[in-house]
Amino acid sequence: MSSSVDNRGADEATRRSAGPDMRRITYRETHSSRAAVSVAAAILVLVLAAYGVLESGVHAVGQPAWLIEPQAAAQRIVDLPAGISPLLLAVIGAVLAMLGLIFLLNGVLPGKRARHLLAGARGEQLPAVVVDDEVIASSLARRARLAANVTPEQVMVVVSQRQVLVNVRPTSGIPVDQARVLDAVQDELDRMLLEPSPVPRVNVTASGVIGA
Amino acid sequence: MNSTPALLNRILLTVLGLILLAAGILLVLLATVPPVASWWHAWSSGAWGGVNQLFDSTRFPGRPVSWLWIVVALALLALMGLMVAWIAQQGKGRSNLLAAEYDPGETPGDVLIGGGVAEQALKQALEGRPDLAGATVTTYDVKGSPALKVRLLPRQGVAPHLLAAEVSGLLDALESVVGKEIPVLIHIGAGARTRFGRAERVR
Repeated sequence: MSSSVDNRGADEATRRSAGPDMRRITYRETHSSRAAVSVAAAILVLVLAAYGVLESGVHAVGQPAWLIEPQAAAQRIVDLPAGISPLLLAVIGAVLAMLGLIFLLNGVLPGKRARHLLAGARGEQLPAVVVDDEVIASSLARRARLAANVTPEQVMVVVSQRQVLVNVRPTSGIPVDQARVLDAVQDELDRMLLEPSPVPRVNVTASGVIGA
Repeated sequence: MNSTPALLNRILLTVLGLILLAAGILLVLLATVPPVASWWHAWSSGAWGGVNQLFDSTRFPGRPVSWLWIVVALALLALMGLMVAWIAQQGKGRSNLLAAEYDPGETPGDVLIGGGVAEQALKQALEGRPDLAGATVTTYDVKGSPALKVRLLPRQGVAPHLLAAEVSGLLDALESVVGKEIPVLIHIGAGARTRFGRAERVR
């Protein structure tokens, strides 16, 4: 038996946080990866470079060019506004700029996913838990539905990074206590201990549903 | 969780994006603004003249071709190699080993525990639960140390914190069996199976 099992209770508090860079792992789970865009960019550069290798290699051994002589191509780029219709040139430029903007924004924007961290209750030591907002919403919807005493179709919950919006359509003739629904949702959120912690808002529509 | 080079991806994407954006804007300006066109003429013909001279001065003796072309081809080949390496870095990190330790007991040799142990044990433990539409367990290699990722697909309306606490108990049991603490990430997600499946009504 190794010693780590024997003193398990003693270092219970420290052991979860001592993992290899859990913050890095949770960051990766809550932010979208740029893998797909990176592969696309790499393939783009790869294709261009392959064409460049072909032309310069063919030129180096003194064979006729495949599509265009590199020097002729450079000469055409040098006297650019001439030799091509301005509209076509502008369109090509716009497409290039658009492509560049997509790559640039992918590289710069934070890229947060619709997920929250679950801190876990005070006593228990949860491992790192990442929850999709959709799961949080459906759990909150169940609580709100029970508190408002309506059917599942009458409750809609939208969870965003810092806000939870609960829409309740009451059954016609049976009023819904807004404060009670808010209390129930807040209680559920307090138990979840999300990070970042969203603020709940309850919205009871004026028109009711008949026959629910 | 995998070892996709996140920072490198962002840097390379930003650089490539800036280059493409600058080239595109230049082309649009060339087509629309005449002063830019005259500036481009002056600048680019000067630069091209310099490059031409360079090519002229590096000719093979007795032949009209410059050996700089071979250098260009080799440089582009190296660039292609780098791009292939970059693609190969994406999404790596799955591993097969949960623990590898020297055994201090009487039997000589090391002890290796495969990732399949954790995966099968947790899958078995989670299988009969009515509140889960699915669960997958994978072993990853995070900077040399093994880590587990547990992906749970709960049915609609399941409270995520209760589910996480219960699975955490299972993980504690697994750790005491393996005899080693394993960093774990629990991902409670939603998918098509949870969206269109029946909701959990009784708890």
